[in-house]
Order: sequence, then structure tokens, then C-alpha cells
Amino acid sequence: MEDLIKRRIKQLKKGDQDAFADIVDFYKDKIYQLCYRMVGNAHEAEDISQEAFIRAYVNIHSYDLKRKFSTWLYRIATNLCIDRIRKKKPDYYLDAEVAGTEGLNMYSQVAADVVLPEDEIETLELQGEIQQQILKLPDKYRSVIVLKYIDELSLKEISEILELPINTVKTRIHRGREALRKQLRHV
Amino acid sequence: MKKCPDSIVTDIHNYLDGDLEEEKEKLLKSHLQECTGCYQHFHELEKAIALVQSTSHVTLSEDFTNKVMAALPKEKKTISVNR
Repeated sequence: MEDLIKRRIKQLKKGDQDAFADIVDFYKDKIYQLCYRMVGNAHEAEDISQEAFIRAYVNIHSYDLKRKFSTWLYRIATNLCIDRIRKKKPDYYLDAEVAGTEGLNMYSQVAADVVLPEDEIETLELQGEIQQQILKLPDKYRSVIVLKYIDELSLKEISEILELPINTVKTRIHRGREALRKQLRHV
Repeated sequence: MKKCPDSIVTDIHNYLDGDLEEEKEKLLKSHLQECTGCYQHFHELEKAIALVQSTSHVTLSEDFTNKVMAALPKEKKTISVNR
């Protein structure tokens, strides 16, 4: 798959716009997952994901084929999420709380007239609660925690994506994990 | 109760990152077996990680790729004419 992506990027660099569709298809779920966990709102996450791909397309000439494409793409998406969080009005956090479980898999599969079994409701509530706690983290901790535990990236990759020294990434993971420990202790 | 040194918590985090030397790992493990407070701390961290990892995956609308492709700037289109 990596080879196919490399080929598509080369085609794209030569100006073949259609080659970009396979690249979007391959990375869209990962990028969306990252954005959703960062901003906590399904609609907004989709919006940011789209913007990330458009930026990647427009700036493809600055991408160095020797580097890992996913790292470059993740960096674009993470920066867009952080920009968006910082530009938010303070009432955003209230807004995000309402939207906590929006867009979750199980929600979207449930038809309006189907009654959920008790344990599924509990699972949904728990997942909403966890998402809330992730959103409460300051963005510098949230980004490392999401990249490490939801996107399952290595410390080295995270340090490349965020352009931070690996020791800073470690410290942030430690602090983010401590914050989550306190927040999730009684869940 | 005697307070454990802060370095224990640092060791726990390094251990969770797979980043603790073998020697220190042995010491940490034997400490965790003896010290309820530190074991509790370790256990709560593991629980927090498990909860974060358990969040279900969100799904994107099906026509996402088409929407992105439609939203791309059009200046490169001359290439397809040349093909």
C-alpha cells in the first residue's frame, strides 16, 4: 500500500490531480479520527479533515518523498486542529460538551425507532464521558495523547509531527497521562 | 506512612513508554508489589490508557473523498487535457 501511495504522490507531483483520490481514500479515516478527538465535534472534524487534504494537495511540492508521507500529513492536520482550538471563543467548550458523543460509530448505525439495549447505552455514555475528559486536556497534552493512544504512533513519529524534541513529547505524555488518571479515576 | 520518592512516578511513566532500563524495571516491579499506594497509582494510569484506547472509531461520511476532490483548486486541470 505504501508503494501505491508513493506512486500516486509522484503522479500528483507531475500534475495528475486524479491521483489524489487514492491518497485521500487511504488516509481519510486516520485523519478524521485525529481531528475528531482533537476538536470533539463530528462536523467540525470533517471540515478540518477536508482542509488538511486540500492543503496537502496545494503544498505537495514541498513534500519530500524521502520522508514519511503520513508524518507530513498528520502535521498539517494537527496544526489545523490546534489553530482551530486556539481561535475558539470560550463558549466552545460548552458547545463541545453537548457534541461529545456525536459521530460515534454506534450512534450513526442506530435507526431512530430502535431501542438500544441497556449495556449499549452504557457503552455510549462511557465513550462520551471519555471523549469529554480528552477534550478537557490542554491542547499541548491532548495532541500527544491522541497521537499516541488513538493513532498509536511512536514517540519518534510524534516528535516529528509536532516538531518537538522527543524529551518534550515524553514530558507532555507523562503530564497528559497524569491528568487523565485523575479525571478518569472514578469512571 | 512514608512517602515514596517522586522518581517512582517518573519510572512508572518511562515503563509505560517502554523506556525504562531493565535494571530499573526490576526495582520498580518489586516496589509495586510491596507498595499499595504506588501500585494504585500505576493501576489508575493503566486504566486511563485502556479507557482512552477503548473509544470507538468515528466514521466519516461516504462521499468525503468526492467532496475533497471537488473542492481542489482547478489550475492543474490543463494536464488532463494533455493526456
